[in-house]
Amino acid sequence: MATVVSPRGQRYVDLLERVWGERKGLVGWLTTTDHKRIGIMYFFTALALFGAGGVEALLIRTQLFGPNGHVLSPAAYDEIFTMHGITMIFLFVIPMTTGAFGNYLLPLMIGARDMAFPRMNALSYWIYLASGIFMYIALAQGHAPNAGWFNYVPLASKTYDPSNNIDFYGWGLIFNGISSTAAVINFIVTIFKLRAPGMSLNRMPLFCYAFLAVSFALLFALPSLSVACLFLELDRQFGFQFYNAAHGGAPLLWQNLFWIFGHPEVYIIILPAFGIATAIIPTFTHRKMVFFPLVALAEILVAFLGFGVWVHHMFTVGYATVTTVYFAAASLIIVIPSAIQLFAWIATIMTGTPEFKTPMLFIIGFIVFFIIGGLSGVTLAAIPFDQQVHDSYYVIAHFHFVIFGAAVFPILGGMYFWFPKVTGRMYNETVGKVSFWTTFVGTFVTFFPMHILGLMGMIRRNYTYPAGLGFSTLNAVETVAAFVLAGGLVSIVLNLLISYFKGPMCGSDPWEGDTLEWSTSSPPPPYNYAVIPTVTSPYPMWDKADRELDNRRLERGEGVFALGHRTPGSTVQDAEFDELLKMPPHSIWPPVTAMALAGVFTMLLLGHLFIAVGFAAAIALALLGWHHRGSEP
Amino acid sequence: MSAVPGGAPIEPETPAGAVRLAQRRQALPNGWWAMALFLCSEVTIFGTLIATYFYLQFGVHQWPPAGIAPEKVTDPSIATGALVLTALPMWFAARAARMGSKRTVLGLVALALIVQAGYFGVQIALMSHDLQHFSPRGTAYGSIYYTLLGAHHAHVLLGCLLDMAVLWFVASKGLTNYWLTATRALALYWYVINGLAVLVLLTQLSPSL
Amino acid sequence: MIVVGGLLASGCGRQSIISNQSPPAHGITVLWWWMLGVAGLVFVGSVAFLVIGYVKRHTPGLPFLGQNELAAQGLVLLFGIGIPLGVLVALFGVSDVYLIRQTAAPAPNTTRLTIHVIGHQWWWEVRYGDGHPVTANEIHIPVRTRVNVVATTADVIHSFWVPQLNRKIDMIPGQRNRVLLYANRSGKYRGQCSQYCGLQHANMAMFVIAQPAPAFRSWLAHMSTPAAKPTTPQARAGERLFMNSQCSSCHFIGGTPAQGTVGPDLTHVKSRSTLASGMIPNTPKWLADWIHNPQAIKPGDRMPDLGLSWGEVHQIVAYLQELK
Ligand code: HEA
Ligand code: HEA
Ligand code: HEC
Ligand code: CUA
Ligand SMILES: [Cu+2]
Repeated sequence: MATVVSPRGQRYVDLLERVWGERKGLVGWLTTTDHKRIGIMYFFTALALFGAGGVEALLIRTQLFGPNGHVLSPAAYDEIFTMHGITMIFLFVIPMTTGAFGNYLLPLMIGARDMAFPRMNALSYWIYLASGIFMYIALAQGHAPNAGWFNYVPLASKTYDPSNNIDFYGWGLIFNGISSTAAVINFIVTIFKLRAPGMSLNRMPLFCYAFLAVSFALLFALPSLSVACLFLELDRQFGFQFYNAAHGGAPLLWQNLFWIFGHPEVYIIILPAFGIATAIIPTFTHRKMVFFPLVALAEILVAFLGFGVWVHHMFTVGYATVTTVYFAAASLIIVIPSAIQLFAWIATIMTGTPEFKTPMLFIIGFIVFFIIGGLSGVTLAAIPFDQQVHDSYYVIAHFHFVIFGAAVFPILGGMYFWFPKVTGRMYNETVGKVSFWTTFVGTFVTFFPMHILGLMGMIRRNYTYPAGLGFSTLNAVETVAAFVLAGGLVSIVLNLLISYFKGPMCGSDPWEGDTLEWSTSSPPPPYNYAVIPTVTSPYPMWDKADRELDNRRLERGEGVFALGHRTPGSTVQDAEFDELLKMPPHSIWPPVTAMALAGVFTMLLLGHLFIAVGFAAAIALALLGWHHRGSEP
Repeated sequence: MSAVPGGAPIEPETPAGAVRLAQRRQALPNGWWAMALFLCSEVTIFGTLIATYFYLQFGVHQWPPAGIAPEKVTDPSIATGALVLTALPMWFAARAARMGSKRTVLGLVALALIVQAGYFGVQIALMSHDLQHFSPRGTAYGSIYYTLLGAHHAHVLLGCLLDMAVLWFVASKGLTNYWLTATRALALYWYVINGLAVLVLLTQLSPSL
Repeated sequence: MIVVGGLLASGCGRQSIISNQSPPAHGITVLWWWMLGVAGLVFVGSVAFLVIGYVKRHTPGLPFLGQNELAAQGLVLLFGIGIPLGVLVALFGVSDVYLIRQTAAPAPNTTRLTIHVIGHQWWWEVRYGDGHPVTANEIHIPVRTRVNVVATTADVIHSFWVPQLNRKIDMIPGQRNRVLLYANRSGKYRGQCSQYCGLQHANMAMFVIAQPAPAFRSWLAHMSTPAAKPTTPQARAGERLFMNSQCSSCHFIGGTPAQGTVGPDLTHVKSRSTLASGMIPNTPKWLADWIHNPQAIKPGDRMPDLGLSWGEVHQIVAYLQELK
C-alpha cells in the first residue's frame, strides 16, 4: 500500500505474506501459479521470439537490399519468411499481449488476487513454451515450414513438400492453439467472475473490455485453424483427400478455413493494442475517455464483425462477384467501430492536457500508423484495386503498418508504462524519447515505400527481384531503415534492462494512473491487494475516497481474507459478492502435463501413433496427480 | 452493490458446506463457466466439420461418390437415440450433486456411463464395418465422413473418461465444492455432446434422407 | 503525397499498375488516385487534430468550445461514424458496384480469341484454342482486341498478373478461372506470377506482346508450323543428341519425336526473347549456360542438370538456334 500501514493492518499483511509466499529459485518458477510470475515468463519468452522473428526480418531485408541478392538461397529465404510470419503472429504478438500483458495486468485491474484457474494458467504458458520450441526445432533440423504463414495447399501438400517441415506447421499450430484456448477460457472466466465486488460491467476498465473481446474472438476463431491443420495432417500423413482436387477435395477449403481464422486473428492482434492505448491515454491526458460506453461497444463490435470478412483475402480466387461484394461491404463496415475508437482517442487527447512521456509518444505513433495502415486496408477492400495489388508489397505495407505500427507500438508503450509497476523502478525518459523517435522514423521509412513498390508491381515472397524494374532504390532504403528500426528496438530493451538495475525507485503510482493496479505496491505482492479494493467507478484510482476507505478497511481486517489462498468471486454482471474462492497453491503438474502433451505432438509428427497414445495416457496420469488429494482447491 | 463480508468466515470445505454454497450462490460456478466456454470451442469445431462436409458435397456431382452406398439409417439412429437419453441421468445427477446426495450422483453417472460406453462400442463396430466398404483415403467424401464421425466418437470417449474421473473422485473425496461443480460441468458436457451427436447423425445420414 | 506521386510517375516500370495500358487497368489507376487523395485528406485531418491537441496541451477542453463533453462526443460521432459512412458508401459504389464490372471476366463467347494459360512450377504454358499452337512464357495478342484468358494450373496455385493490362487471377487446381486481356497499344508488357508457388516463384515472369492484328495473325500462322529442320552438321548433331537424350522426354518439338510435356514447348524457341520465364535473355550464350546447368541459374528448377559436356551443349544450342 502506498500509505503507511498501521500496526493492526500490518498484522493482516504479515499473514497474507505468509499464506501467499512463493517458493524461491528455479523450483519456484517451475511450479508457480502466480499470474504475475507467469506473465513475466510469457514476457521473456515472447520477447526472445520477437528477437528471433526480428532477426529473420533483418535477414529478409538484407537479402532484398539489392537486385539478385545472394545472402540467402531461395530455399532458405522461403523458410525464413515463413518462420518470420509464424513467429511474429503466433509466438510473439498473441503470447505477448494476452499472455504477458493480459496475465500480469488483468487480475490487477479487476482487483483480483489471481486468475480464475491459476494452474491452467501455468499450463497455458508451458504449452506455449513447448510449442515455440517445437516450431523452432524445425528450423534447427534444417528444414522449417516454407509454404508461407498461410500455407496454401497444394503447395503445402505431401506431393510438393515431401519433407516433414510442413508437419511442424500443422501439428505446431494445433499445439499452440491448445495453449491459447486454455488461456482465453481463463481470461473470460476471470473477467466474468473475479472482478472486485462493486466493479459491475459498466465500471470495468476498457483495457479489460478489449481483452474480453479478444478472448471471445480467439475462442471462436482457433477451432477453424485447428480443423484446417488437422485436415492438412490427415492428408499429408495418412493419405486423406480433403484438399486434393483430383479426388473430390478442394484446395479452396483450406483457404476458407484458414482465413475464417486468419481475419479474426488480425483483430485479435490489434485489440489488445487498443486496450493498452485506452489504458495509457486517460492517464497521460488527465481525463476520462471520451464516450466510454461507445468505445466499449466498438471494441466488442470489431471482434464480432471480424468474423464476417474473411473472403477479402481471397478476392482473386475467382469467386462470383456477389460473394466478393458482400465481403467487401463487410470489410468496409468494420471501419466504423475502428474509426469510433480512433476518434475517441483523438478527442480525449484534444480535450485533455496531454503529457508526452515516452508511453504516450508510442501511443501517438500507434495512432498515426493505425490511420495509415487502416486507410490502406480500406483501399484493399475496394475489390478491383485489391485484385491488382493482392500479393504484392502493397499488402505487406498495409499489414506492417497495422501490425507493427499499430499493434506493436502500444506493446512497446505498454512496456514503458507498466515497467515501474512491474519492477518498482523508473526507466530513463530521455533515452526513451530517443528510442521512440528512432523506432518511429525507422518504421515509417521501412514500411512506407513498400506501398510504392507494390504499385510498381513487386510481388511479395520473392527471394529476389531483377534489376531494371525500378525496385532497387526503395528496397535499399527499406533495408537501411529496418536496421535503424532494429537499433531503436534494441535501445528500448537496453534502457529497460539497465533501469531494472539502476533506475530510481518510483513508488506505487508514478503516473497518477486511473486503474487499480496503481494502488498496490510496485512490484505488487504475491496476493496483489491486502484488501480487495472498493470500486465505484471505471477510474477507481481517481476515487481518492475509496482508496482511503481501503486503508481503513485493512485496519478492520475487512475484505482481507487472509486465511488461505482466497479471493472473492462475484456475479457476472453486477459484480456482487457471491462466494469466497479457494485458489490452488503452486503445483508441478502444469509443466509435467505440458511435457506429456509435447510428447503427443512429437510422436504425431514422427508418425508413431501408438507412442502418441502412450503420451496421451501420461497426460491422463498427470491430471490424476493434478487432482490428487490435498492439491485440490 | 453488496458489501464484502468483513473478517469473513471461510466457506467450509466439507460436503455440507459445499451444498450450502451451491444453494446460496447467485452466479454459476467458475468450473461450469469454463466447461461452457470449452464447449463453445468444441461446438465451433463441429460446426466447421459439418460445414466442410457440405462444402465438399457442393463441389462434386455425385455424393456419396460412385461405389459408396448411402449410409443405413436404423443402426446409428437407435444408438444416437440411446446416447441422447443419457442427458436425463446426467441432469438428475447434477441436481443430486447440488443437494449433496453423493450416492445418487454415483448411481446416475454410472448408469449414464454404461449407456455411453455401450454407444461408443456400437459406433466403433459400425465404423469398422464401414471401413470394409470404403476408405478415408479414396475420396474426400470418405475423408470427411470418417473425420466427422471419428471426432465425435473421440468426444464420447473423452466424456466416458471424465465420467470415470468424476465417479472416482466423488467416491473417494466426497461431494466437495470442487467435485460438486465438476459434476455439474460434466452434465453440461454431455448435453452438448448429445446435441452434437444428433447433428452429426443428421449430416451422416443426409444422403439417405 | 506529392512525393509518392512523383516517385510513382517517374518509377513507372514495365510492371507498374500506374502506367496502365488498358481500360480496366486505367479504371483501377483512377480509383487509386482518388483513394489516395481522400485518404490523404483523412490522414492530414486526423493528424491536424493531434497537432491541435499538442498545441493546446496545457488547457483542458476544445478550442472555442471549451470543456464541453457533448462537443467531444459529437466529434466522435461525426468523425467516427458520420463522415466515414459517407466516404465508405461512395467508395463501395464506385469500386465494388461500378468499376468491378469492367474488371470482371469477359462474358462467355463475347471475345474473338481465347487463350489458355496454364501455370507450371515455374513457367507458363500458352495454348491458342484447342489443338492450335502452343508456346511458353510469351503471350501474343492482337492490339485493341478483347481476349479471353482461361487460367488453369498443372500443379500448385499460381496467379496470372499483368499489372499494366488488368487485375490478376489465381490459377487453382480443379478450377477454370478467366480474365480479360486488352491492350490499348502495341507493346511488350511484363507480367509475373503473384501467388507464392514455391522455390522459384520469384522467377516466374512472362510477357504479353500486343501487336497489330496482321502481325499477330502471321505470328500465329508461323507458330502452327512444325519445327524447322536443322541445316548445319553441328545442328543436326544437336538434334540427334536432343532426341536421344532426356531432353525429348520433357520437351515438345513439333514434327519431331520429342513429345514431352513436362517443360516448355521448344518448337519455335528461338522466336522468344527470354528463357526460363523471363529470367535470362534468349542469346546463344545464355542458352548454353542454361542447358549446361539450369540449376545454377534457377536453383531448384524442375529442369535437372543433365551433366552434358560443353561440346554437347553447343551442338544442342546450334540446333535450338534454328528453331525460329
Ligand atoms: C493488426 C492487424 C490488422 C488490422 C487492424 C487490419 C485492418 C484492416 N484490414 Fe487488413 N490485413 C492484415 C492485418 C490487419 N488488417 C494482415 C496481416 C493482412 C495480410 C495477410 C497476408 O496476406 O499475409 C491483411 C490484409 C488485408 C486485406 C487483403 C489484402 C490482400 O491480400 O489482397 C484486406 C482487404 O480487404 C484488408 C482490409 C482491412 C481493413 C478494411 C481493415 C480495417 O479494419 C481498418 C480500419 C481502420 C481505419 C480505416 C483507420 C482509422 C479510421 C479513420 C481514419 C476514420 C476515417 C476513415 C475513412 C473515412 C475510411 N486487410
Ligand atoms: C506481428 C507481426 C509482424 C511483425 C512485428 C513484423 C515485423 C517486421 N517485418 Fe514482417 N511479416 C509478418 C508479420 C510481422 N512482421 C507476416 C505475417 C508476414 C508474411 C509472411 C508470409 O508471407 O508468409 C511478414 C512478411 C514480411 C516481409 C515480406 C517477406 C516476403 O514477402 O518476401 C518483410 C520484408 O521486408 C517483412 C519485414 C519486417 C520487418 C523489417 C519487421 C521489423 O519491424 C522487425 C523489427 C524487430 C526486431 C529487429 C527485433 C528486435 C529485437 C528485440 C527487441 C528483442 C531483443 C531481445 C532479446 C533477444 C531477448 N515482413
Ligand atoms: C525433367 C524435365 C526436363 C528435361 C529432362 C529437360 N528439360 Fe528443359 N525445361 C524443363 C522445364 C520444367 C523447363 C522450364 C523451366 C522454367 O522456366 O522454370 C525447361 C526449360 C527449358 C528451356 C527454356 C525454355 C523457355 O522458353 O524458357 C530450354 C531451352 C530447355 N529447357 C532445353 C532443354 C534441353 C536442351 C534439354 C536436354 C539437354 C532439356 N531441356 C531437358 C524440363 C526439362
Ligand atoms: Cu507461380 Cu508464383
Ligand atoms: Cu483480413
